[in-house]
Amino acid sequence: MPSSSRQRLALPIAVTALVALALLSLAVGDMPLSLREIGHGLMNRDSLAGTILWQIRLPRLLVAVLVGAALSSSGLVMQAYFRNSLASPGLLGVSSGGAAGAVIAIAAGWAGFSLLVLPVAAIIGAMLATAAVLSLARKGASTERLLLAGVALNALLGAVTSYVLSQANVSFERNGQILFWLLGGLEDRTWEHAVMAFPIVLGAICLWPLGRQMDLLSLGADEAQSLGVNVRRLRRQLLVLSTLLTALGTAVAGTVGFVGLIVPHLLRLLVGPEHKRLVPLSLIGGAAFVLACDVLGRSVGGLRLGIVTSLVGGPYFLWLLRRSA
Amino acid sequence: MSALTLQNLTVPGRLNAVSLDLPAGATVALVGPNGSGKSTLLQAAAGLLPCAGRVLWHGRALGEIPFMERGRLAAWVPQEAQFEFGYSVRSVVAQGRFAHGDDAVGVESALAALDLLMLAERPVNQLSGGERHRVLLARALATAAPLQLWDEPLAALDVRHALQAIVLADTLKRTGGTVVFSLHDLRIAQCFDYIVVLHAGRIAAQGKPEAVLTPELLLAVFGVQVQIAPSLTLSLPPSLPSSLP
Repeated sequence: MPSSSRQRLALPIAVTALVALALLSLAVGDMPLSLREIGHGLMNRDSLAGTILWQIRLPRLLVAVLVGAALSSSGLVMQAYFRNSLASPGLLGVSSGGAAGAVIAIAAGWAGFSLLVLPVAAIIGAMLATAAVLSLARKGASTERLLLAGVALNALLGAVTSYVLSQANVSFERNGQILFWLLGGLEDRTWEHAVMAFPIVLGAICLWPLGRQMDLLSLGADEAQSLGVNVRRLRRQLLVLSTLLTALGTAVAGTVGFVGLIVPHLLRLLVGPEHKRLVPLSLIGGAAFVLACDVLGRSVGGLRLGIVTSLVGGPYFLWLLRRSA
Repeated sequence: MSALTLQNLTVPGRLNAVSLDLPAGATVALVGPNGSGKSTLLQAAAGLLPCAGRVLWHGRALGEIPFMERGRLAAWVPQEAQFEFGYSVRSVVAQGRFAHGDDAVGVESALAALDLLMLAERPVNQLSGGERHRVLLARALATAAPLQLWDEPLAALDVRHALQAIVLADTLKRTGGTVVFSLHDLRIAQCFDYIVVLHAGRIAAQGKPEAVLTPELLLAVFGVQVQIAPSLTLSLPPSLPSSLP
């Protein structure tokens, strides 16, 4: 059982780690900056550092933080919803739905019209994927059925993406764009991306008070309802929140895997399963994890975020499977 | 005032026009062969299954009672005790106070009543089947709900804890509660105030044990013969404290 001191200290430690990683993320790059230079740059007393920080590193930092918080918390929500600690945004097909929407938008050439097209297409795709999973699984809606529906949908949406990529009439340049997007990364993120990702903050605020009810739901829907939870409403809220959070995260950073799986899982090992602790911790911990992966990728010569999270998350996931088998 | 009223309760394929009226302050045994609809009846009575007909708790139609208040009026214990996440025993029992604003009232005495104080900090997903069931019973007890619907609570328990659960039901009854057990052991069912016999989704008989458990009915419903003989009798020792909230 996690000790109570660990439970008390977890949040301050996570916040400290996030701040330290944020400073590190501002400091490292082609032109390393000292703490002093960062301070001067942020106050625009040093014009070169100011340009680097305000134009490049700060928006990238913000996008990383928001994406990490969104993916990790939506994973936490799905795990409570499906009562399965191996559930994650990728599992439902929500990430694939977002990816397929974005890929279609790029291939059709719509993405050039406005910076908003890509995220909107990703959100539509993710919403359709969630709706499809739910309609497939409506009768009986058991966990197994939902998860299997997600597996099938993942394969289907992957085929859509492959089909678009293999079309000869899609230009080489757009194919490149699609691949870049599918790999998931934080390169060239601007303030517009940060603004696009801002609704993630609203999602987090809506999620905050649901922790206690998630505790009850994660031990069984009927049990939760008999104890006084309006299960139908709670499930709807959780589903909308997790879909939106995943879609927004995917829209601004492409497909970034494993964050929603490993961050909540690690936190659960550290502080126990109570959601009143896990909700804030997974928001902050997810942000810190994505920042750490981004800094790591940058410092080893530009490994993209999606690759780093998969390199870290894949082995962890396999270890989990081995342990639970 | 009746604690639980069912009027023409129908769940297609499982329950057929079941009507029932259970008084406040009673222990009720729900018996019937496998697949006769015991679990379905308890779930429908707890408002957890969509069904035709009416369910009333203390004279109020279930549909008019808000979810939160339902959590204070009735507790339901499922037949299967499965936990995916490792909440501590104490925190699962404390979930029984959700509808009371998580005030933790009676949690410790509920733990004590089911011999769980020693296990209070253990993760529930590492307990044995019977221990998990005691956790669920303690959570139901912590709700302090006057209507308790327990689906085969004795099946997983050892003999001492099974006897304790029956004593517990009796104590709840004396404070005006109504406890409905589904169970298989007809000899235990005899200790209850009322027996409801389900057969193929219908009520085959209901009433006092001696009126219901006739040799004719047992042969018709369960396909068994009755034989009265002296046999092993078990009871709790008089020294055992019966602690209750």
